[in-house]
Amino acid sequence: MNEPPPVTKRPTRVQLFATCLVDRFFPGVGHATVAVLERQGLQVDVPLDQTCCGQPAFNGGFVEAAAAMARHTIDVLSRSSDPVVVPSGSCADMIVNHYPGLLAGDPIYADKARALAARTFEFSQFLVDVLGVTPADAQPGPSLAYHASCHGLRGLGLREQPRRLLGAVAGGRCTDLPDAETCCGFGGLFAVKMGPVSSAMLRSKLDAIDASGAEVVVATDVSCLMHIGGGLHRRGSRVRTRHIAEVVADSSHA
Amino acid sequence: MHDAALAFHRRIDAALADGALRRALALTTGRLARGRTDAFAAMPDAEACRTEARRIRAHTIAHLDRYLDEFTRAAEARGGRIHWAETAADATRIVTDIARRHGITLAVKSKSMVTEEIELNAALEQAGVRVVETDLGEFVVQLAADRPSHIIAPIVHLSRGDVARLFQEKLGAGQDDVADIPAMTAFARRTLRSEFLDAGMGISGVNLAVAETGSLCIVTNEGNGRLTTSLPRLHVAILGLERIVPTAADLAVVLTLLARSATGQALSVYTNVITGPRRRGPGAGPEAGGEPDGPEELHIVIVDNGRSRLLGGELAEILYCVRCGACLNACPVYRHIGGHAYGSVYPGPVGSVVTPGLMGLDDWSEVAQASSLCGACRDVCPVRIDLPHLLLKLREQAARRKLAPLWLRLAMPLYSAVATRPALYRRLGSIAAWLARAVERDGWIRQLPGPFAAWSASRDFPAPAAQSFVQQHEARGVVTGAAS
Amino acid sequence: MTASARDRIMASVRDGLLRAVLPDATADRAGRWEPPAQVPPREVLVDQFSRTLAALTGHVHRAATATEAADIVIGVAAAHGAASCLSWGDEHLGCPGLLSLLAARGLARVTYEMSGDSVERGRTAHDVGRVDLGLTGAHAALADSGAIVLVCGPGRGRLASLLPPIHVAIVSERRMWPALPALVQAEPGLLDAGSNVVVVAGPSRTADIEMTLTHGVHGPKHVHVILVP
Repeated sequence: MNEPPPVTKRPTRVQLFATCLVDRFFPGVGHATVAVLERQGLQVDVPLDQTCCGQPAFNGGFVEAAAAMARHTIDVLSRSSDPVVVPSGSCADMIVNHYPGLLAGDPIYADKARALAARTFEFSQFLVDVLGVTPADAQPGPSLAYHASCHGLRGLGLREQPRRLLGAVAGGRCTDLPDAETCCGFGGLFAVKMGPVSSAMLRSKLDAIDASGAEVVVATDVSCLMHIGGGLHRRGSRVRTRHIAEVVADSSHA
Repeated sequence: MHDAALAFHRRIDAALADGALRRALALTTGRLARGRTDAFAAMPDAEACRTEARRIRAHTIAHLDRYLDEFTRAAEARGGRIHWAETAADATRIVTDIARRHGITLAVKSKSMVTEEIELNAALEQAGVRVVETDLGEFVVQLAADRPSHIIAPIVHLSRGDVARLFQEKLGAGQDDVADIPAMTAFARRTLRSEFLDAGMGISGVNLAVAETGSLCIVTNEGNGRLTTSLPRLHVAILGLERIVPTAADLAVVLTLLARSATGQALSVYTNVITGPRRRGPGAGPEAGGEPDGPEELHIVIVDNGRSRLLGGELAEILYCVRCGACLNACPVYRHIGGHAYGSVYPGPVGSVVTPGLMGLDDWSEVAQASSLCGACRDVCPVRIDLPHLLLKLREQAARRKLAPLWLRLAMPLYSAVATRPALYRRLGSIAAWLARAVERDGWIRQLPGPFAAWSASRDFPAPAAQSFVQQHEARGVVTGAAS
Repeated sequence: MTASARDRIMASVRDGLLRAVLPDATADRAGRWEPPAQVPPREVLVDQFSRTLAALTGHVHRAATATEAADIVIGVAAAHGAASCLSWGDEHLGCPGLLSLLAARGLARVTYEMSGDSVERGRTAHDVGRVDLGLTGAHAALADSGAIVLVCGPGRGRLASLLPPIHVAIVSERRMWPALPALVQAEPGLLDAGSNVVVVAGPSRTADIEMTLTHGVHGPKHVHVILVP
């Protein structure tokens, strides 16, 4: 579960699965991801009929709804066998770790799910593990504090890759938030189903951001960032949130 | 919303409003979690040990009938008496019968979650037996007629002032007796020592039983586990039927992880292994050459109470649990709401699976929703139970049984129908973005409607982009992939 | 009645096993984790044991002879005003002649035998409970946890290490093990050696009240281990 699938030679084309939140709320993250990948010399295909990976339904236990969305996503991403890059740890985790089990009993999609899982990567995982992006001189800029989104961290084992990438483009400017690996409290529908607890967890995360003194909070998932960012904005804080693809795109390296 | 679910949310609200509780929880869970991290960092083969501990527990549960059988024969061969309890009521009846038969009026108890699960104390009290909890935290909980709020730290929710007041009001403690924590501890020791010495029956749980020798392993830091199982003439041990390992070597592996996971200690202060009652020598009298002390009778009550039913399904992995409490210390939800909010004997991540598993989803499905599925629990479980996976299975069962709120049951199939129709998805997305313009200001929405209103209690919500990423990318003219 | 409850539970277990989802369950029992084969030299283990037990607020002493051991025990007794002791039999202390030396120096030994009758037991326990110091040997010591392993049996009662507020244990350095799995692997019959085998890691402790550590809640407050050759 934590090991990146073996890749023998450097791909020339990738598909982008933007995710529903990026698509609808943070299109800039999608553009940044494309820009970074193109700068690496890759051709980036964006299937126009992509929608949602189905994770919210899956997490709520609505497996039929989730399976339907999974089948659609598999169809969308299986017209070509190019690797899939996802600017979201949780959506990549859904495809990689949950699609195979979800569709294990489906005579047509079981194999397709496994095949897709084997060539799907979260953004920082793809840059570091597949493309082997090497560290370069870090650029000046605002201080960054890294929040480790849970599903990428624990589902995909993204302990090193985001930190390596951020270290490469921001150097010592980027540090972990205190309690970086503690859940921010988004959890999808958890944020509304368990609103008061979610808010309490958010408050802990915001306190940690205060304590860090950072100007920008970075993560691999816009889900965490919209929750944290929404809280920061409510407080009138000047701290901003940026997706890791945007930070990388902003720098002239990688 | 279902009554039980409403009650759960009320308890959560109460816990979140209790600043003292939250500070205590943060302090306690933080310290215990750090203890675990340090202890594991100091173990060069910690991961190999966890893998082996998981293998031991998985193998045991997969052959539970064999090992229960072996345990029973071995325990009986060494003088123990085995009783079988299908339900909580059966278990309490067995223990009260034993008490009655021996004219027991006072029993001492060392901490045991399964005895709370079966509500043993109440049954014994009704049968005229005074039951004294001897674990300091449980003793206080008993005095306060309260419930423990953490598997390892039962009175994390009480202050020293609370304890002092209890000792003074209920036990007539003087000012000096409650002057500080060491004084209160010494007072409790004196008070409980005479109970230990007078009790006719000692009741304990079992951390782990060993099948090959019929042994019971009971761990404590205070020593009350030893006193309970050594002083009174009768020892009654309550054993959940899944708490067993095949051999002594297996026990040693699990013990290597148990205290380290719970608190960061290499071992609990007392790892107490009981194999049968006191061994008498041949003949009678003090010169007969047997053991000089120990209980004359050992009764082991094997409790099912839903465990075998839990075994027969997709939640069975939860039976690997050795009740260390590490998942509680790692869980950000538990850290904020504490144990009482969960409303049952088993709180935290393990509780959110065990409670619906043993007691049924009808009343307890909401507890399985109280998780963001962050996975911190799985990271620290000594036997690597995939708790998030089990929670997902529970949610699946709840959704199938229509226990989810109505709006979700309507919204999910609707969302799925839209998300599998890309043209409709894009059109509805554009409409939603257009509608949002009416309520957004500077790119943010202050108040979300309907079931999403809870978001707005503490956060603003980003306004949807006028054009989606895919639309913008398509407009750039760099297009491949099938058009919808 | 009980037999049929057993039958029903076992049937329920067997029935459950037909549908149980048990990840990573293996058919064979063979373990795949072994305690490390490389055992550190004894002095290293003794040092680790001493440091670990000291960190738990236990005390470690070394004695080369019974006289030295007696000096230590008398010293501990004097420090706490202890006039009597509960002790294992001389042959079980691992320090021949110690008990007579202690008797000669005024530390009276209290012996007991728990009767089968509940009331008698209570009376004996109350008397025995007044003794200040408990003296035992030990079957082994564990370096990683600062713990000693006590196997009860004839001449080796449970109460000596349990009731008095002071517990002094004599253990041979030759019985020092790296950790519990290593000991159990070498002595698979250990658990069966007596009705009670207890591993004691320092003095009784609790942090139940406001996470504040205190010692001597129920078990001994002062633990002294005397390492002998």
